[in-house]
Amino acid sequence: MTKLLEVQNITKKFGGLTALNRVSFHLEEGEVLGLIGPNGSGKTTLFNIIMGDLFPDYGKVFFKGDDISKLPPHQRVRKGIARTYQVPRPFKEMTVFEGVRVAALSPSIIGCLNREAMVHGPEIRKLLEEIGLVERLSMYPDELTMGDLRRVELARALVTKPRIVLLDEIFAGLTVAEIEEIDKLLKRKVKEEGLDFVIISHDLKALSPLVSRVMVINFGQLIAEGSFDQVINDEKVKEVYLG
Amino acid sequence: MVVMFTLPYFVPIGVTRLLVMGAYLAIFAMSWDMMSGYTGYISFGHPFLIGVASYVTAILCYRGAFQPPHIILPLYITIPLGIAAAVGAGMLFFLPSMRVRGPYFSLISLAYMEILYRLIIVVRSDYTGGDRGLPNLPSVVTGAIPNYYLAFGLMFIIGMGLWFVTRSDVGIGLGAIRMDEDMVEASGIDTYKFKLFAFLLSAIVAGIGGAFYTHYLASLGPRRLFSTTFPFDIIIASVIGGMGTITGPIYGAFFLTIVLEYLRPYLFGQWRLFAYTLLALLVLIYKPKGLYGIAQDIRNYFSRIRRRKVSE
Repeated sequence: MTKLLEVQNITKKFGGLTALNRVSFHLEEGEVLGLIGPNGSGKTTLFNIIMGDLFPDYGKVFFKGDDISKLPPHQRVRKGIARTYQVPRPFKEMTVFEGVRVAALSPSIIGCLNREAMVHGPEIRKLLEEIGLVERLSMYPDELTMGDLRRVELARALVTKPRIVLLDEIFAGLTVAEIEEIDKLLKRKVKEEGLDFVIISHDLKALSPLVSRVMVINFGQLIAEGSFDQVINDEKVKEVYLG
Repeated sequence: MVVMFTLPYFVPIGVTRLLVMGAYLAIFAMSWDMMSGYTGYISFGHPFLIGVASYVTAILCYRGAFQPPHIILPLYITIPLGIAAAVGAGMLFFLPSMRVRGPYFSLISLAYMEILYRLIIVVRSDYTGGDRGLPNLPSVVTGAIPNYYLAFGLMFIIGMGLWFVTRSDVGIGLGAIRMDEDMVEASGIDTYKFKLFAFLLSAIVAGIGGAFYTHYLASLGPRRLFSTTFPFDIIIASVIGGMGTITGPIYGAFFLTIVLEYLRPYLFGQWRLFAYTLLALLVLIYKPKGLYGIAQDIRNYFSRIRRRKVSE
C-alpha cells in the first residue's frame, strides 16, 4: 500500500499553548480515518495545517510523496485535497448552486472570461442530486437547515474532484436520518470512486460503520490508534473521555 | 441611446458640461467598483491612481514658462504613457497592501494618496507646478459638445468592457472573494490572481479617466485632485448606484452630479456633503444594491404584471 497523505512531526504553538505536539500519521489508499478527541485537542488545527490555512512551526506534510508543506491552500486543493468546515461557511449572497459552482470555476482568468468551468452545470446538478440538495438549488444559505448547510459544504468539497476529503464535524447538528444518509453517501464514494476521507466527529455511532482506523488526539498529542473497537476499549481513551 | 446621442443639441451648454463631469465621475466610480465593489477591498485612495496618470500626461505635454527645457510630447503619446504609469504605480504600491484586509487596506490606500500629494509639492515642483498645479494644458477636443461625445464614448466603452468581464465567471469569483476570501481559496482558486486582475482593470480605467479628465479641464490642481472629498465622491456615487454592479455606479455618478448641482441654491457648502453622505448611509442600510437594485425591482415588477396578464 502506498501512503497517500503523510504528516510528519507537526508542531504548532499559539503563544504559550501547544496546540499540536509532534503529531505524525499517514493515510493509506482506500482508508477512511476517524479523528476523535475532546474539544480543543487540536483536531481542527491539524486539518488547517494539512490544508495550508495555517503553517506549522515544525514538521512537514506530504501528499502522494510530494512535500506540500509550503504550498498555498488553493494549490493543495488542485492537487486533490478538499475539506469542509466545522462551522459551515456558505457564500451568503449566492444560491446553493452558484456557491457550489464557485469551487468549479476554471483556475485561469482566461478560462473564466470564456466561462469555461472545470466542472459543468449538468455535472454539478448531478452531484447535488446525489447529495440530496436538488430541491434547494436556487435557495439562499439563510433559508437552509443545518443539515442542508453541511451538505452544501460537502458538495463544495466534492466538486473540486478531490482524492482525499477532510470532513470536520460533518455529523454535528444533524438528525439521525440525515446522518444515515450521509453515511451511505460517503460509503458509496469510498467504494465506487475510491475517495479517502479523514473524519473528525464527536458522534462515534455515526463514525463506526465508516472508518477503517481511528486516531485519538488529546492536548495536541496522539494517544491511541487502531480499529474502532480497539480504540474505544483503550484505557487511556476511556480516561480522556470519561474523566 | 438616441436621447443620449442627441442630448447635447437640446440642452443648454451648462447642462452639457455638467453631464461631461458626470461621465468622468462615472468612469472613476466604475474603476472603484471594479476593485472595491467586487472584491470588498475598499479603496479610499483612488485619486492616487488617477493622480499618477494625470500628472504624467500633464508634465509630458506642458508648455509652461517656468520649467527647464524638456521634451514636449503630443497627447496621443502622453495619454497612453499616463495610463501605463497609473498601472505601473498601482502595481508597485497597491499590491503589497492587498495583503492586508478590511479597514487596514482602506487606510493604507488613503495614505498613498496623501504621500503622492506631499511628494508632488515637495519633489521637483518646477516640473509638477507644486501646490499651484499646471494650468493651460492642451485639450484633446475643444468645445462642450465634442467633449460630451468623448466622455460618453469612453464611458460606454469602459462600461461595456467591465460589464463583459463582470458578467463572466470572473465576476462570480470576485463576488465570492468579497463574501469569504478564505473559502474561495479553499475551493482551489488562486484569489491573488483574481484580485490582481480586478486591480489591473481598475488601474487602467482610473488611468484613462484621469488622463482624459485632466485634458478636459485643461489644468491640474493638486488641491482639488487630492482633497479628501474626491475619493468620497467616487465611493458615494458607487454606493448610491449599487456596489458590485458596474452599471450602478454610472447611475450613481449622474444622480450625484445632477442632484448636487440643482441642490446648490438650497444647500450650502458643508450641508451638501452632509446630505449626500446621509443619503449614501441610508442606501447602504436599506438598499445595498442602490439605484441598480431599485431599477431591477421595477423591471421585475413590470415583468410580473406582464406575466400575470398573459396567464389571465
